[in-house]
Amino acid sequence: MKARLAALLNLRGWNLVLVLVGVFIALIALLAPILPIADPSAQDLDATLRPPFFQSGGSMENLLGTDQLGRDYLARLVFGTRLTVSIALVAVFLGAVFGSLLGIIAGFKGGWVDAAISRVTEAQLALPFILLGIAIIVARGQSIGTLIFVLAIVGWAQYVRILRAETMALKERGFIAGLKIGGISDARIILRHVLPNVFGTIMTLGALEIGTMILAESALSFLGLGVVDPDISWGAELANGKNYLQIAWWLVTFPGIAISTTVLYVNLAGDALRSRYDLRKRMF
Amino acid sequence: MTDSILRVCDLVVEARSQSGVIHAVDHVDFSIAPSEIVGLIGESGSGKTTLVRSILDLHERNVSIIGGSVEFSGTVVTDVDKGISAVDTIRGSHVAMVFQSPRASLDPLMTIGSHLREVLKRHQPDLSREEVRKRSLEVLGEMSLDAERVIRAYPHQLSGGMCQRAAIAVAISTYPEMLIADECTSALDVTSQEEVVEVLKQLTASRKMALIFVTHDMLLASELCDRLVVMKSGKVVESGPTAEILANPREEYTKKLISAVPRWVSGSAK
Repeated sequence: MKARLAALLNLRGWNLVLVLVGVFIALIALLAPILPIADPSAQDLDATLRPPFFQSGGSMENLLGTDQLGRDYLARLVFGTRLTVSIALVAVFLGAVFGSLLGIIAGFKGGWVDAAISRVTEAQLALPFILLGIAIIVARGQSIGTLIFVLAIVGWAQYVRILRAETMALKERGFIAGLKIGGISDARIILRHVLPNVFGTIMTLGALEIGTMILAESALSFLGLGVVDPDISWGAELANGKNYLQIAWWLVTFPGIAISTTVLYVNLAGDALRSRYDLRKRMF
Repeated sequence: MTDSILRVCDLVVEARSQSGVIHAVDHVDFSIAPSEIVGLIGESGSGKTTLVRSILDLHERNVSIIGGSVEFSGTVVTDVDKGISAVDTIRGSHVAMVFQSPRASLDPLMTIGSHLREVLKRHQPDLSREEVRKRSLEVLGEMSLDAERVIRAYPHQLSGGMCQRAAIAVAISTYPEMLIADECTSALDVTSQEEVVEVLKQLTASRKMALIFVTHDMLLASELCDRLVVMKSGKVVESGPTAEILANPREEYTKKLISAVPRWVSGSAK
């Protein structure tokens, strides 16, 4: 079955590994409630700051130890995957849809439409992200919705710039002019001919942006502006762990490893997508 | 004059760039009769492409028509003085165009069949699937292509010459009365050029379609065209029947173009 699926997607070697890791992360996030792990919120004040199992004082009961309230750290990391990954995915999706659309329109229409969109994009890119995040979160109040909104705002400008350039390059190719001569409307050309041709770029950029979003979410949570108790995310765990850095190294190390390996994975997967969808490679 | 299908009167096209404004097309008069093949000759930058793009008003933002008129089948489609701009009415349905680069003329993600469907459906929305397919196979066959194979092929699966013929097939699928071929052989090798010229010849004869063949290749032009129009620096410097111009070029510039054509030299080198 697995072999057949791999053949179906034409996946071999490295790409197959990447897909399997992706499936693994998705499964952890989706199946967290039914995995045989402890309740991430259950406190046990008799067993606070227990070290991981391989260190003296640790036990197989709490594989990665416990935090300052005696909560099982493995369970917290597993449940943290859900919020961390889904916040990143939703933010990337929103940014990608909004940014790609604006970028394609700017590149396709040119003239004052392009100028207006480009200037707004540049203004957005000129604002430092953390400052903007603090301003919006303070103004709107802290919530997951606001956090996603802030992250989407951080992401969209990148799509505008890259897709504007891609669309302009695509427009130079004769077939867009050919379709115009054929009397096909601009909207149809954009949806049926431009969008499919830049879709690989959107996917690649999206994959790479997931890493950025995870880092941004972690950074905001670390500053106490993102996810807060009782919600669990890797960034929030990291923020909490830093207070116990000298007596409980695992509280910062494990969420740090989770964040960096996921971001590394997402970047590798993005690179693989890029080589698979590279327009120039496919065309000639 | 009703015996011409296209009349361009006193056309002036301005191109603006950072280094200044030039008249890329400078007071050009030009006409073409139904089913006539006109070769538009001239070196790079002489205004050939700008002229034919003006006919369909396909300009970038820095280029615009600032004077003159274009008339198609007795209907004015562009007239600067009267403020008429109705090129939409002739694009695709009456005048079609093919471009220089055969691969770039086709969407890399669509089969040739989908290209044909896109254009046919646009012009005749009520065509059924079978009719579209039948028309597509017909028009591909007309271009001497293996229709059954090409209709399912993506552009990258075809050779340059086949791509160009497929692009012509898409352009003429709506039975236009005139085709503009803008350097459509320049990017091809010699044998593919010959194939394309051959199908263009057959096509214009069987469909009684007018053709503007833009090129800087005097040899191909002389083989295909009834009449030649020679351009230099945005102006028409000479025009007349092909044989006449070849035998008796008046302008120094035309002579140069003709002498630039390589010839077989028999016996000793010249």
